[in-house]
Amino acid sequence: MTVQKDSLTSKPETVYVERYFPRFTLGQRWEHGILILSVFILLITGLPQKYPDTLWGQWIISSPERLNQIQQIHHVFALLLFALAVYHFGRIFVQIIRKQLPGGMLPEWQDVRDAWQMIKFLLFLTRNKPNFGKYNFEQKFTYWMIFFGVGIMILSGLILWFPIQVTKIFPGGVIPAAFLAHSNEAIALAVFIVIWHFFHVHLQRLNLSIFTGRINEDDLRKYHENEFERLRALNSQDSNTGGGNP
Amino acid sequence: MKVQRLIKSILLISGSVLIIIAIGFLSNSTHAAPGFQDSPTSTPPEAGGTSQATPFPTQDVTIIIPNLSLSDEYCLDCHGKPGQVYTLENGDQLDLYVPAELHKNSVHGSTGIACVQCHTLVGAYPHPKWQAKDLRDSSLQLNEVCKRCHAHQYLLALDSVHEAALEKGNQAAAVCVDCHTSHEVRRVTKPGTTETLPEAKRWIPERCRLCHSEIYNKYEGSVHGSTLSEGNEDVPTCVDCHGVHNIEDPTTASFRLKSPEICAKCHTDPALMEKYGLSTDVLNSYVADFHGATVAIFEKQSPDAEVNKAVCYDCHGIHDIGKTDDPHVGLQMQENLQATCKRCHPDASANFSQAWLSHYSPSPDRYALVYYVKLFYSILIPVTLGGMGLLVVMDSGRMYLNRRKHRRQLASVTQNEEIPATPDLPEAAEASNTDSKEIES
Repeated sequence: MTVQKDSLTSKPETVYVERYFPRFTLGQRWEHGILILSVFILLITGLPQKYPDTLWGQWIISSPERLNQIQQIHHVFALLLFALAVYHFGRIFVQIIRKQLPGGMLPEWQDVRDAWQMIKFLLFLTRNKPNFGKYNFEQKFTYWMIFFGVGIMILSGLILWFPIQVTKIFPGGVIPAAFLAHSNEAIALAVFIVIWHFFHVHLQRLNLSIFTGRINEDDLRKYHENEFERLRALNSQDSNTGGGNP
Repeated sequence: MKVQRLIKSILLISGSVLIIIAIGFLSNSTHAAPGFQDSPTSTPPEAGGTSQATPFPTQDVTIIIPNLSLSDEYCLDCHGKPGQVYTLENGDQLDLYVPAELHKNSVHGSTGIACVQCHTLVGAYPHPKWQAKDLRDSSLQLNEVCKRCHAHQYLLALDSVHEAALEKGNQAAAVCVDCHTSHEVRRVTKPGTTETLPEAKRWIPERCRLCHSEIYNKYEGSVHGSTLSEGNEDVPTCVDCHGVHNIEDPTTASFRLKSPEICAKCHTDPALMEKYGLSTDVLNSYVADFHGATVAIFEKQSPDAEVNKAVCYDCHGIHDIGKTDDPHVGLQMQENLQATCKRCHPDASANFSQAWLSHYSPSPDRYALVYYVKLFYSILIPVTLGGMGLLVVMDSGRMYLNRRKHRRQLASVTQNEEIPATPDLPEAAEASNTDSKEIES
């Protein structure tokens, strides 16, 4: 369950053993990487189309040929994001069928209580930060915001991509509705990522576990105490019964 | 030493004198330079009694001093009688008859412009021989006299599509006298302004009609043309869209890209639109949608680009613009709208044409789905992002305060334990502590 690593230190007599815990699978790390790539490209090819009045927007879209290229790039990376979403759903589906869904990301009432506790802490109404499980309420909020956001983006994007076919079934109003949803949701997502996600993973502390796939013991204890306790209990249970990893 | 000083002071004095002279010369020359006359009509050069050069600075300036001693009566003595013709080189008969009333009632006659001020070369009888290949050549030659007074308008006309056609060899392309006539010349604008007179507004399409009769017929039946013939001068005539003297080629890509602004001139004017219960939101709603957004980008970025996105006239018609509730062309009629969409989107269904909000802002009654999506985001974005922003600010605030508190505690601990003798060192101790470890609550 635990990965041990001897870090090299200059003084041989003070050996510092840093223990790491696995946090994300290789598949999840790849998913995050592809998500970054596609969202980044989709934003830089999409935002100029939303803000054609701005200087930078006009710098990117300078001619009809350029607009055409931008739209093609947008479509290619939209398909990539779509494929990612299909993979993500497919994996969840398989996990549900096999009854192996970790479930750590599912929202619980505890998250609301944690958020409330956190607000109280930030307002200096309490000295105690809440203790979190594997994913804290802020990480769950990020996941679900992006989950629904990307869902809306894909759905509205497809409507905008195939308006003629869509209006063969649905009323015409879905197109301007999809247009508004696509352009507003993009802004909501972009600002959300910049304000919320970047603050928590870059400014507050540099959290690279989504890239390395692991978290060190200190961080796990500090930021995910409940998870640490759970793993420790599990580990002692395993060593007591003599069993290995499941 | 003394010689050097002397030379220096002489140089200084002569230098400053030169500068003063230069400044004086420059200011004089700017005052002396005649300002380019942008008034609707410039005064005739000879009106003041002195004959200056024409305000039109070409290389072949020939200062013609009209013989003002020749009165109109002197000319009309002969030319006021019908039946006089002059045979040109190709045998064309140039009618020399000018009805006295025609000139007298013209803007020229009524403001005291004499025959000889345009017909400068003719002089007293017997006249010099008039050299012209045919009737049109005669008109084109005489047309040049307009620039003596109307240099501004003449220059503008040089940039027009008519002048371009003339240069390509189309002798029929309109010049000053084709629109303004030779002798009837009517007053077009209110004196001293560029505001078109109501009677001129009705006269203008009639002049364009002489060559562009097919377009005139469409215009006459349009919402603008029919309203004009009802006696309402609020509507645009030909020149309001095409320009007056520097009439641009309307078939170019750049004209197409900027054409929405022509329509917007009137259709975003609240006072004018309110009179007829029309929306002033048409341009904004157009630019907010697919077609207009694209057109707006390229209008700025590549004004000569061929863009196939619809502009106003692609849907509303060019000269045959109808009312939107017109049963035959009105876009309020579902079948008309769908037919219009199909011109560019051949597979468009009836639903597809409903995707266009017809310049309306969505409301609960009209395009409710769009309205509620808009409402949803107008609440979601500020609430979520504002709330998140607030949490982030609070979080950073608490983090900062805790760190500072911790640092102070550590600093005081080290100060007390290690170096109690030196009171100047806590800053250094604090710095070393911040380096060593980042501590949070």
